[in-house]
Amino acid sequence: MAKDQDKTILKMTVNGEPVEVAVNPAWTLLRVIREELGLTGTKEGCGIGDCGACTVLLEGKTVNSCLVLALQAEGKEVRTVEGLGTEENLDPLQESFIEYGAVQCGFCTPGMLISARALLDKNPHPTTEEIKVAISGNLCRCTGYVKIIQAIEIVAQEG
Amino acid sequence: MKKRGIGYGSMFYGLGYGFSRTDIASATLEISQDGSIIARSGEVDYGQGSDTVFCQIIAEELGVDYSAIKLITADTDVTPDSGPTSASRLTFVGGNAFIKTSRSLKKILNGVAEDILGASDLVFREGMVFSRSAPEKSISFKKLAGRAYARGVPAVVTEWYNNTTQDVDPETGQGDAYATYCWATQMAEVEVDTETGRVEVLRIVAVTDVGKALNPLNCEAQIEGGVVQGLGYALEEEIKEEGGYVKTGTLGEYMIPTSLDIPTIEVHLLEVTEPKGPYGAKGVGEPALIPTPPAVLNAVRDALGLRIHKLPANLENVYHLINGAEAGN
Amino acid sequence: MQSYEYYAPRSLPDALEYLAENAKNCRIIAGGTDLIPALRNEDIHPAFLLNIMEIAEVGGISETEQTVRIGAITTFNDLAESGLIRKEFPILSEMALSVGGPQTRNRGTIGGNIASAAPAADGLPVFLSLDAEVELSSRRGKRNLPLNEAIAKAWTPAWGNDELITAIRIKKLPSGTRTAFYKLARRQAMARSRMTISLILRRDPAGIIEELRFVPGSVMPVPRRMEEIEKLLTGKVPTDELLDQAARAVGEEMVKVTGIRWSTGYKKPVLGNLFRIVLSQLITAG
Repeated sequence: MAKDQDKTILKMTVNGEPVEVAVNPAWTLLRVIREELGLTGTKEGCGIGDCGACTVLLEGKTVNSCLVLALQAEGKEVRTVEGLGTEENLDPLQESFIEYGAVQCGFCTPGMLISARALLDKNPHPTTEEIKVAISGNLCRCTGYVKIIQAIEIVAQEG
Repeated sequence: MKKRGIGYGSMFYGLGYGFSRTDIASATLEISQDGSIIARSGEVDYGQGSDTVFCQIIAEELGVDYSAIKLITADTDVTPDSGPTSASRLTFVGGNAFIKTSRSLKKILNGVAEDILGASDLVFREGMVFSRSAPEKSISFKKLAGRAYARGVPAVVTEWYNNTTQDVDPETGQGDAYATYCWATQMAEVEVDTETGRVEVLRIVAVTDVGKALNPLNCEAQIEGGVVQGLGYALEEEIKEEGGYVKTGTLGEYMIPTSLDIPTIEVHLLEVTEPKGPYGAKGVGEPALIPTPPAVLNAVRDALGLRIHKLPANLENVYHLINGAEAGN
Repeated sequence: MQSYEYYAPRSLPDALEYLAENAKNCRIIAGGTDLIPALRNEDIHPAFLLNIMEIAEVGGISETEQTVRIGAITTFNDLAESGLIRKEFPILSEMALSVGGPQTRNRGTIGGNIASAAPAADGLPVFLSLDAEVELSSRRGKRNLPLNEAIAKAWTPAWGNDELITAIRIKKLPSGTRTAFYKLARRQAMARSRMTISLILRRDPAGIIEELRFVPGSVMPVPRRMEEIEKLLTGKVPTDELLDQAARAVGEEMVKVTGIRWSTGYKKPVLGNLFRIVLSQLITAG
């Protein structure tokens, strides 16, 4: 563990709330989100940018939070899956994922939801191909992607 | 040049452990005095949907809403031994265990209800227990649970389902080794680029005998996922090892399909009731992916007139197949 | 656990000063898509880490009449979404969309792609085909270096460790020039290139090739223009026979550089095949 004097104060906005947290410069954004802020919805899959499980929005754009140093988020806006909806008031994408069977083991789900949300925020009525491209950095071993694509398509048609 | 081909892969798969190997599942149900139901099973749901199906089964048997059930699974502190989560056996073995347990519990509750209502033709449906011939004789399931509790009636039941089968004849190897068999056929349509060796799968049609689909959406999802795993197995996934070290130890090196690698996938559920299965159901997990690689490789054979004997059918192996050279690696 | 001093200046002079002071043990981080895994794997142990992502002068895409300047911290998605790039260098837009997945395209930068100098880099061969120049800045001043002189060997830039790549400069192409990028990979996203083809072609009204630039990617330790192939076709009408001849020569040229390796049996013929297919499509298209 790093000693406290090695730490720097990081200020950023997470899910709309300003946060201040002491971080070691070697920590990734993923580590700070999960370990320091306790937002464990974001998953660590591979830790080296190969799987997309740790996808969050940084300034509205999808990034692998394992490939961003925590201090690189200084002054920036981060949105995690916890910022999509609440248990009582889910994001339409979350509703649709449940309704249309897009979740199996669930490990890729938070990252998938973030990638899908980023797409729909920018392009509310994407084509199937655009949906496939938007989630192409998010690996899924269970579903074969079919139900995930369908769940996003349905929100895009209704949205 | 791009060449197209169509291929089929068919399989049958023995469900459970077979060959006289122990194959049992326990299940426990407990009713609280407020009518809520706690179910316990040692089976693990790692995404295939067994939790959903178990709750559906309990709800069906006891005539209660699915949401009234709290299921606790795979915690050796509190759940009974249900055998491993493998062999596509959960719906079949674990599901049958929950049918038995639910029916034992229902028998106990039924006795209490007969006494209270003065009727013996009772039906459990939609959270109510009532007489078929005189429906006005009724009590809610919740109330019944409270009355049973007040009378000191046992509220916890554990049953197990034994799926252990006979062994085959040791001399001839003949016999019926498994409780039941799953059947599936898939068709693959591929396009092979003869100048690069790239195989593109354009379409998969998957037909699976699921017995009875207890949850059709889950069955489809299992089959779609299995097909895409099968595509990875056929075309790209490979553990490379060098001097005892795995050279494909990351998800950038061991490459599973992405959303841009999937073809059109058509899933058809063929429902042929299996008498031993829960409501006629069979397993679907592993059967989903087994026919995919042979279907793809047969389609490559159809496209090229050449049969690939080395997996995966990746760029190099297919190119060298076409050009008659041994793959370098 | 890594232990380094982290610095994220907003001004270029501050960055160059810091770099000059700490040149020996300093690593520059931009998108981090290569550097962070290397830090995690403990492949490198820098004492100083200089983040250049906050420096406005190192970003942005701008044009003059003759040239386009692309800031080094321009991400692949910035490149893909730029109307100016699509108009002037569609080959760059195509390349940018073939890189990794959306998340890596949102972080990975063109400066990083060049400075990392990976043999399988996707950006590097395309920039080489465009005869790009790198703009290098240091406390000592600013200079432009032709990209083909900027990479010493695989993974190693040829510029000083006190110098920062601040931009790529590309001359606009003469009208009538056509470009093509093709990537062969083991899957359709999140894939390192197995081979890429970058082609720039201009023909006269009679169909004679006036200019051809060709850079194969992922086949040599450092990508470079295959000038022998370019010469073979320039000044000629590309007949089927000539294209077949050139395709065979492409494989030979590759082997001259790489020697025979386990992958040669595949790459030698297929690189030629891809060259012929992509060039034929470019010719047919115009």
